[in-house]
Amino acid sequence: MSETSSSQIPGLIQKKVFKIIVLGDSGVGKTCLTYRFCEGQFLDKSEATIGVDFRERSVRIGNEDIKLQLWDTAGQERFRKSMVQHYYRNVHAVVIVYDVTNPETFNSIKSWMQEVESHGLTNYPRVLVGNKCDCGTPETRMATYVAQRTADKYGMPLFETSALLDSECDNVESIFMTLAHKLYSKQPLRVVSVAGDQSYGVVTLPRHKGHPPAKADGCLCS
Amino acid sequence: MESNNIDGDAGEKHNINGDCLPSPKSQSFDLNHTKNIDDISTPSELKFDQEFNFEDPEITEKRKEIEKCLDNPETVFLEQWQIFAKSKGGLLSDDYRKIIWPLLVGVTNEEMTEPPSLDELSTHGEYNQVVLDVNRSLKRFPPGIPYEQRVALQDQLTVLILRVIIKYPHLKYYQGYHDVAITLLLVCGARASFPLLCRLSHGPRAPLAPFMQATMRPTQHLLNYMLPALRRLRPDVADCLHQAQVGTMFALPWYLTWFGHSLNQYADVVRLYDYFLCAPPLFPVYVTAALVACRAREVLCCEPDMAMLHCLLSRLPDDLPFEDILVTAKQLYDENDPTDLEAEVEEYERKEEETRRQDEERMRRRQAAVRARRHRQPAAGTGAGTGGWPRALLSRRALLATATVLLGVYVYWRPDLLFAR
Repeated sequence: MSETSSSQIPGLIQKKVFKIIVLGDSGVGKTCLTYRFCEGQFLDKSEATIGVDFRERSVRIGNEDIKLQLWDTAGQERFRKSMVQHYYRNVHAVVIVYDVTNPETFNSIKSWMQEVESHGLTNYPRVLVGNKCDCGTPETRMATYVAQRTADKYGMPLFETSALLDSECDNVESIFMTLAHKLYSKQPLRVVSVAGDQSYGVVTLPRHKGHPPAKADGCLCS
Repeated sequence: MESNNIDGDAGEKHNINGDCLPSPKSQSFDLNHTKNIDDISTPSELKFDQEFNFEDPEITEKRKEIEKCLDNPETVFLEQWQIFAKSKGGLLSDDYRKIIWPLLVGVTNEEMTEPPSLDELSTHGEYNQVVLDVNRSLKRFPPGIPYEQRVALQDQLTVLILRVIIKYPHLKYYQGYHDVAITLLLVCGARASFPLLCRLSHGPRAPLAPFMQATMRPTQHLLNYMLPALRRLRPDVADCLHQAQVGTMFALPWYLTWFGHSLNQYADVVRLYDYFLCAPPLFPVYVTAALVACRAREVLCCEPDMAMLHCLLSRLPDDLPFEDILVTAKQLYDENDPTDLEAEVEEYERKEEETRRQDEERMRRRQAAVRARRHRQPAAGTGAGTGGWPRALLSRRALLATATVLLGVYVYWRPDLLFAR
């Protein structure tokens, strides 16, 4: 796919298009995450993704509108090998998602990274996203420092978020905006530090801790 | 069938879905319909019924014929059920379906056995994946269904799926299988849907069997028949798809779930199942081609871009004329059966393979280039002007030189340390 959309009408401003593939185990919330970013809300009746789903959204970077195409993939392993292959073509960035309440999905990051590597995307902008941080208790959730170590190992920034909570909306936004800026400037992905967090590699965004989320008690993600 | 009153719908229309059908004769079938399934006859089905306020006389006639056959089902040939299932409107109502579907695939009463409990099956390796998908299948349940009933049905669904893959361990569960299973479960109940699903999953001509192999390759191969099939109907649309390199992925959920996953109207789903249950295994792919051809205008107006076209095609509108699509697909199949399309499919796959190999080659070259570049630039800062110096040697020399200079500086500023005393 070309980086510019194909409309060749004179006078019409062509948008830069960036293709982002979203990977991760079944049920980690890839569909909800992309839906949250593209539609601005939580997908209530999310279903298993069969094959590949597609969503897009235009964002403004500097003075230019660019288009982000999110390719949401099926998590089940059998779809990866022959099916999803086609969709790795001309990808510009990768998002790997795990479920903070399910260590197994975290352990799969390694095999997803191998997958990314096998498609020659190692040097492309990548981010690691721990989803469902509204679920479980601090004891049952993956510790951030463990996730951070893995993220550091692969040289990608880590985000922890929830596609469910409206209060986390900004955070979901920043995941894709980080990629958008990175893709736009075409610089090697460098980690931004926000909200006074000094530790290397963590993007800590204000969690709005003071503001009680409406549905914090029940987890709707699983 | 108290269920039908969910919508407060009442009256004569209930002949179709309501209390009247299980006539004294049809009870001999022992449908083993579990209570909670009876309880939730679907509202969308009721919407389907409402259309019969202005019922096509043809359909009214068909209804009468079906009921007549159901009076003495053991005297009716399979061909007759197939004619009902394929002709306009299909089997018309779920009450007919729950009797006729098992007959269409040759399931007998003896095969309908009591399902085991979920606890007995929960140690299966696929248990977690199945539960994950079943729990996310809310959209497939009738809206407004009480929570307890839905949970009970979801448990039945999990049991149904696990029973099949336990019975046939070589069959692998795939995401989408649950969409087929739930359609059977909602229509036929827990006992009848098990042998039904077995028939569809296992055997040389079982339509779901290719999807349940170790990999998805067989599925992908069969789905590729859509492209030459479409070309026979609308070469211009086929060109458009080809140009955009959209592939066949947009139709994957249609094929894997017999459209159950992708259609919003329950009535459309069961109508298609009527047909598919007695059609050749590849027939859904022909329906896919007919459906894309039916949307020719939209496709031709769309930007010839993979993403745009994938997006357009994968989202199905609610008002698709399925009766026409089925007629087109049937004609297409009669005129071009899979052996006629084989050569074109092989040619397409050969080209795809070629492209894939080129992609891989390009990637390998790129990776090699990146590696080579990294090798040439050992570290930032010292990279410039290193010439042919071996890296280790250079850094040792640099270290030595720096140390000497530093020592010199130190001695210059603090000579007292060395010479004062």
